[in-house]
Amino acid sequence: MDRRRFLATTGAVASVGLAGCRSMFQTRSARSPPLVEDRPDAVYVPSHVEGMQMVDMQMAGEYMLALSYSFPHRFWLVNGDRTNKVEISGDDSVHLMTTVWDRDTGMVLPNGAIRATITKDGESITSGKSLWPMLSQNMGIHAGDNLSLDGTGVYDVEITVPPLSMRRTGGFSERFGESGTATFTLEFDKSALEEQISYETLPDRQGERDALDPMEMDMMPVSRAPDTAAMPGTVVGEGQSGDATFLVSRLDEVPSGVDTAAGGAETDGDPSYLAVSMRTPYNRYPIPMAALSATVTRDGTTVFDGELTATVDPGLGAHYGAVADIGPGDELTISVDTPPQISRHEGYETAFIDFSDVSVTVEG
Amino acid sequence: MPPSRSRGISRRSFVKAAVAIGGASALSACLDRENPDLSTGPDDLSGLPERQHAWNGALSTDDHGNHVAPRHHLVLYLDYANDGLPGAEDRETVETALQSLEHAYPRRTEDGEVGLLFTVGYAPAYFDRFDEPLPETVDLPEPEPLAPFEDPVPDDADAVVHLASDYGSVVLAAEEGLLGESDAVNGREMDATFEGVFERATLAEGGSNRRTGFVGTGLPAENQDVDGIPDTEPVPEESPLYMGFKSGFAGNQASEDRVTIESGPFAGGTTQHVSRMDLNLEQWYEQDSRFHREATMFCPAHAQNGAVEGVGENLGDDTGVEACAEDLASDAREEGVVGHSQKTATVREDGEPIILRRDFDSTDGDRAGLHFLSLQERIGDFVETREAMNGTEVAEEAAVGQRANNGILQYINLRRRGNYLLPPREHRSLPTPRP
Repeated sequence: MDRRRFLATTGAVASVGLAGCRSMFQTRSARSPPLVEDRPDAVYVPSHVEGMQMVDMQMAGEYMLALSYSFPHRFWLVNGDRTNKVEISGDDSVHLMTTVWDRDTGMVLPNGAIRATITKDGESITSGKSLWPMLSQNMGIHAGDNLSLDGTGVYDVEITVPPLSMRRTGGFSERFGESGTATFTLEFDKSALEEQISYETLPDRQGERDALDPMEMDMMPVSRAPDTAAMPGTVVGEGQSGDATFLVSRLDEVPSGVDTAAGGAETDGDPSYLAVSMRTPYNRYPIPMAALSATVTRDGTTVFDGELTATVDPGLGAHYGAVADIGPGDELTISVDTPPQISRHEGYETAFIDFSDVSVTVEG
Repeated sequence: MPPSRSRGISRRSFVKAAVAIGGASALSACLDRENPDLSTGPDDLSGLPERQHAWNGALSTDDHGNHVAPRHHLVLYLDYANDGLPGAEDRETVETALQSLEHAYPRRTEDGEVGLLFTVGYAPAYFDRFDEPLPETVDLPEPEPLAPFEDPVPDDADAVVHLASDYGSVVLAAEEGLLGESDAVNGREMDATFEGVFERATLAEGGSNRRTGFVGTGLPAENQDVDGIPDTEPVPEESPLYMGFKSGFAGNQASEDRVTIESGPFAGGTTQHVSRMDLNLEQWYEQDSRFHREATMFCPAHAQNGAVEGVGENLGDDTGVEACAEDLASDAREEGVVGHSQKTATVREDGEPIILRRDFDSTDGDRAGLHFLSLQERIGDFVETREAMNGTEVAEEAAVGQRANNGILQYINLRRRGNYLLPPREHRSLPTPRP
């Protein structure tokens, strides 16, 4: 009988009382309290908050890359407007996470296809496994997955950051077109997990329409969209839908990296750039991996009707934008064609799924 | 076919393991298990097809008319062993060795099983030794990354031999016979071997020079105790491949005619692409929903309509994704997910797919993998199909991720890639660029 078969068999036995295994299972369930009852269709405070253990930060090509881990936990995958709860599996050891950012601006990059190759003593644990792009209340945008490691020991974790597939503009227009790779040494001690990583249930707050605070790290930034004052261009309106906030700005100059000849721009005058920053309430995390479109009507005539392209810009952050002629008094309607497909940690899984159109009368 | 278990390991799992290990002792053990009672091949080889890749005529078809692939596969990577250009003597040796295999095994047994099918292909590296270039009728570039996120190691052998049979012991014996490690195969003496002409290749970055695998109902389930597949043994017994669905539907395969080089000295030949991918199916089986698996393997409409039952036997001879293929852009935009078949079905000529897949799963390196082997008239046809599969534009323009929700890219890690020319049978032995 090989190791895997052995584990599979003992797993089944544990439920009828194998002492060592049972305590292991109890530990897990304690780290995964029941879901909040009657979750609102909105951002809510989850059942618990947990910390994370930083492994290291390194440059991977032109990306700054942090590797960290926490307890395995449940999360939700998104398929169109369906969510699919991923439960902790019996042999999950950690929730492994990466955060990628630009060192110059400190901006977290919503990179959707991080891959991890993990070895221990030369033995392969994973080979180029894709981590899920994720959004969590205390980590913001990151990539992660629950992984089964081979017990306490030293692991080599090679992380590959692929080129960013989103449009890049401004100071980012010539950047993030190459892959970057970095290798980390992860010293994993299963028994020390509970000492290393904080954990707290939130019986008094859970289910409230609020969010956990962003984690504060000295070296590692958390993804934050610019507030109204810091938003480039002229902020011409704001709307809410699906519990997300849509902050709309007009830039009189189209950022470099935007093809002004393409898209639905039907403008007589100088083209301007319409930027829609879709972000979480409370924490102002940009929400990537949605498909947005917009119409602009002026005096009953449609002057713009087209898609907003997912874009990352050093000033605007991750946003959705298009070349469009908008002016004071115009009626702007933003539609979410596909809800954000980014995976969700607890407290975000019921929000940002069901959207109605956002209507904004453009302010001066 | 129920598995015949003995000593705790079923016959087919054992045979797979023997093919993966190779060598005389594995062959011997494998023969004991399979005990194939095969007739020999024809004395007169003049009836064999001119096209090396003309396998379909030797394959059985299922109830829906789909060709059933041979169950066991072995791809040998070889380097030409001598300096200088191959001469008539070496050419004769190779041809005699190959003909020995053809004399030793039937392509198809009286019971309708595959005895032995094989092809010999040559890489761009092989032809580089000649001053003359390949004719323009042959499109055989070096392998390249086909998406910004790909970084495959190019396989740099001179030649590859693809051996396939319904019997693991046959591909093992053929390997031993070709490489001079045994004197006879299937009771028939080898008239020549590759010894002194071809040797096992040394490949870049430690690549394996023998790649093994299997395809067919029951084999993936029987061999799922490998890295990359969760311990819950989720691969269905009925599935011919690890990902739990049928593939190679007749309606989604190019015909052998379509992939045949039409003109020039290699008319009647084809090109072959072989890549090695690692499969990471923990997410696929333990985290993703059935809806997601159907949507990403086929298309969102199939998932919404429940069009796929089980492993997809009900689909008959066609995935039926052509209609979905027309909706690729809108599905990406409005559903946030696109299917693998949906993307590749966008690449057709005159309504027909342009590549013929003969891929198979693998446990090489004790890891779940796929040896993606396809035939096409031009390597450019593979490139076009593979670029569609990579869905790079879809990822740029919609909510679909670079890998997540983008077909099955999330679960595969491309490791190595190689391109080969399969000459017509008359030029299969150490051809010059202008035979």
